[in-house]
Amino acid sequence: MSTTVVTAPSRRAILDLYAATLRSSRAFSSYNFREYFVGRTREVFRGMQTESDPARLRTMYADARAELGVLRRSAIVNQLYGGPKLAVEVHAPAQEDTQQA
Amino acid sequence: MVGVDSSSPREPTALAWSTFLLPTKAKVISPQDQATTPVDPRVLDAMLPYLTDQYGNPHSRTHAYGWEAESAVEDARKHVADLIGADPKDIVFTSGATETNNMAIKGIARFHKEKKRHIITTQTEHKCVLDSCRKLSEEGFDITYLPVQQNGVVSLNVLENAIRPDTSLVSIMTVNNETGVIQPMKEIGEMLRKYRGIYLHTDAAQAVGKISLDVNEMNIDLMSISGHKLYGPKGIGAAYVRRRPRVRLEPILSGGGQERGLRSGTLPTALVVGLGEAARIAKQEMKRDHARITELSDHLIQSINAQVEHVVRNGDVNGYPGCVNLSFSYVEGESLLMALKDIALSSGSACTSASLEPSYVLRALGAAEDMAHSSLRFGIGRFTTKAEVDFVVSHIIRTVNRLRDMRCVLYHQPSRSSSESVPSPLWEMVQEGIDINSIDWSQSQH
Repeated sequence: MSTTVVTAPSRRAILDLYAATLRSSRAFSSYNFREYFVGRTREVFRGMQTESDPARLRTMYADARAELGVLRRSAIVNQLYGGPKLAVEVHAPAQEDTQQA
Repeated sequence: MVGVDSSSPREPTALAWSTFLLPTKAKVISPQDQATTPVDPRVLDAMLPYLTDQYGNPHSRTHAYGWEAESAVEDARKHVADLIGADPKDIVFTSGATETNNMAIKGIARFHKEKKRHIITTQTEHKCVLDSCRKLSEEGFDITYLPVQQNGVVSLNVLENAIRPDTSLVSIMTVNNETGVIQPMKEIGEMLRKYRGIYLHTDAAQAVGKISLDVNEMNIDLMSISGHKLYGPKGIGAAYVRRRPRVRLEPILSGGGQERGLRSGTLPTALVVGLGEAARIAKQEMKRDHARITELSDHLIQSINAQVEHVVRNGDVNGYPGCVNLSFSYVEGESLLMALKDIALSSGSACTSASLEPSYVLRALGAAEDMAHSSLRFGIGRFTTKAEVDFVVSHIIRTVNRLRDMRCVLYHQPSRSSSESVPSPLWEMVQEGIDINSIDWSQSQH
């Protein structure tokens, strides 16, 4: 067992961060960005779920927190300059539930 | 014709399918992944401070605004260098890959013109490389345009045989913008090491951030990098110019001596920061992006092949998966383009979108004129979704089948009016087992 003093972020904290990141990802008005960030958020947090090294988990958590700030701002800018819906959004329903903020 | 993104001077030549499909209402022409990529929202977020509050001149050394901008520029330089395994001091920021290609090719040739007057390139290079070479040939340089093999890859033997004692530069692109063909840069670099005094330049606009590159491993002396091909902003690019051993070139711009004197002019801080952030993200996401793009690309090719016959893939199958170039036999190119215009296909099979000439890249690969004409290039990138691929596939299958069922008009003679009166049920003949190429059409023309 590792005897490192680094404490891993709690499960609760990770889940809260996951929910907030997913919310920001879904707030993008552009179809392609929204789909990308929702998928990527899921992958990143799935990776955190299976990570057992607390030091690495801490870094991943810190990175994800910083990224949440970026996504929040980006989603707002993206909404400000959002365009009309794409044909593919109408014809092929997205896999993602795309509620707007 | 459907408009082409005119803001991209490096507009590639083949038909391209967008990563963004057309909106249902507004008729907007969207970018394609080889022509250009959307700016990653994370890149824009990194840029915004330098377009608003932090407006310092990175070259001002006397106040804090300047220092902040300078340090942001140097961070960006490091990110770009890290992506290609270079030293940050080897990176020179330019306005894009077109400028970098001009700077590298003309700069090397003109600097060494007293002793060396020969340059080698390939027939499938981007227009800005070919046109720079054409300009040099007007100035009295000898240019060898190497042919490529049928898969689009240049042969090492052919390259080696073209080398002369007065060769100063070999310029070969890493990933082709129309076919996705990847040239064996490592082997080429290895081979050129035997010859002293020949510089190796590569146009890596389509490769940087998409496949892993290492300028030292590949023995590359100069490399062109474009911002808007790796989810960065347009109007910014970079040159890798090796310092050890030193590569000397004549700068195109004269001025304040910024960027090691190779590219004078105040750096656009925000754009530079955008390119740096795009490079950082590209490095971080390369593995994931590549896996996703490969999956979507395989899905696209398999879906089309499963439902349409006589589809030819142009270029090496081991090329970059994000660029798939397919030709549809027995379909008239213009009809295909017109029928597919509502899924944001960009126009014309040539750089000059008004001309209907078939792509010179595909012709260099030995594709027949009709096949080069009915080619579609599919650009798959970071933000392409599976739903988009499925949407485009179903559209194309419907269109190709419909066009083949129609009695196609064969444009054998250049003058269309005379041939239009001779409709030719090409597709039926193919299905009856008649080899179209064996027919002497000129007998049946007026």
